[in-house]
Amino acid sequence: MADMPSAFWSGWIAVLTLVSLAGVAWLVWSVYFGRDRGHEREAGPVWDGNLEEGKQPAPIWWFWLLFGSLIFSLVYLLLFPGLGNFAGLLDWSQGSRLAESHDDYEARFAGVRAEIAEMSLAEIQNDSGLMAVAERIFRRECAACHGPEGRGQASMFPNLHDIDWQWGGDEERIRQSIRGGRNAVMVGWEAVLGVDGIEQVSEYVLSLADGVAANHPGKAIYDRNCAVCHGADGAGNPLLGASRLSDRIWLYGGDPDNIRATLTQGRFGIMPAFDEQRLDDTQLQLILALLVR
Amino acid sequence: MNGMWLHRKIEENTGLLIFGILFVSAIGGLVQLLPILEQESLETAAGNTRPYSAIELTGRDIYIREGCSVCHSQQIRPLIAEVERYGPYSRAGEFVYDRPFLWGSKRTGPDLHRIGGKYSDDWHRIHLLDPRAVVPGSIMPAYPWLVRREASASGDITAKMAGLRRLGHPYTDAEIAGAEADLEGLLEIDALIAYLQSLGTGFTEEGP
Repeated sequence: MADMPSAFWSGWIAVLTLVSLAGVAWLVWSVYFGRDRGHEREAGPVWDGNLEEGKQPAPIWWFWLLFGSLIFSLVYLLLFPGLGNFAGLLDWSQGSRLAESHDDYEARFAGVRAEIAEMSLAEIQNDSGLMAVAERIFRRECAACHGPEGRGQASMFPNLHDIDWQWGGDEERIRQSIRGGRNAVMVGWEAVLGVDGIEQVSEYVLSLADGVAANHPGKAIYDRNCAVCHGADGAGNPLLGASRLSDRIWLYGGDPDNIRATLTQGRFGIMPAFDEQRLDDTQLQLILALLVR
Repeated sequence: MNGMWLHRKIEENTGLLIFGILFVSAIGGLVQLLPILEQESLETAAGNTRPYSAIELTGRDIYIREGCSVCHSQQIRPLIAEVERYGPYSRAGEFVYDRPFLWGSKRTGPDLHRIGGKYSDDWHRIHLLDPRAVVPGSIMPAYPWLVRREASASGDITAKMAGLRRLGHPYTDAEIAGAEADLEGLLEIDALIAYLQSLGTGFTEEGP
């Protein structure tokens, strides 16, 4: 309640609350213990022979229920924030509780964090308990795109078990990919190559796994337009995120139709950045142990 | 004291009874609501919170139309489990341009307040059209019609923004005039994704 508009409104809340509590207390008290309590018939009309006005206080346990909740409210307002700017005797606040549970959380995991920081990836990989934790983190943070087993899915998100790493598969490159994210850019080539050109290049690209075919009609077009990023032999360039074309692993599908679509419309694969808020250094280390082989 | 005398007086006089009922029920509002009207932190945009663009606003209306808020909340509570899972807890000032706010009250699916930037646009596209394609165990329904309708078909965006400006959203004349052009060529799914990607991105660590 630190940003209560003014002392006036704070007082307004406190006074109205306390007056209401007192009013209800008086009302409840007077019904049970007022002067004219007790069963009483009133002078007035009688219907159906025996139906007449009268009054009878509710059972006494109702009184204790009502009065008890009034006392509870008072104690609550004394201990916790509620009465305007009054912070309560316990000095409790939602913000400080969050800060406390953060401290508890840090304290609880500080030991194992320090341990993991000292360990090499190989040592983590040999610890089945830590690897189970790593898999849980993977399922929480990575599985939505890369699939629960990390085998890729939707012909869009890469398989993390194969040898093909678009942005490099060593520890440092994977760390960069996770922390900073990646934005792959391959523009569409229809305007430059034309439909025939795309047909020839897609055939040529599909044949690269069997080595460079020197007299393929698509080779000249490929060398002129594609080799800058993907390399003359289709080896790719992890520094640019240019995928390797000389294997049989195709992120967006390896049918001739898929390759043609890729060439026509381009591909803009995005890996979001995972900052320390989302994945702290220890968690990142565990994920690396899972991915680096 | 004799409470019964007052009791009888009220019971026998309908006008007094009506007044009494109104008075007693107003007390809660006088304590809870009246002071809040003056509380500036609730009206000040937190961090980088800005009014929704024409596209995001259209997406927001689609979000409402499809009932997303029935299963997804947009409020991260200040509890360690939620902050660890979703990110910084929601601040009041982040919702100043939400009319009405979409906090929701039920989480059949996860909270979406910090979903902006968490996944790529392509992921959202696949996931909205066929949630099981990326999340095998998901029980979320598919929304295939979002790619069949133009974003501009879901209401008069110019009137909507002009109306919001009257309520105090700082849209410029140019923004309102260009709103229809902004939606040109976009499908409903594009607008919805733009809205999702904007969620929770106004927060800054330093902000109020």
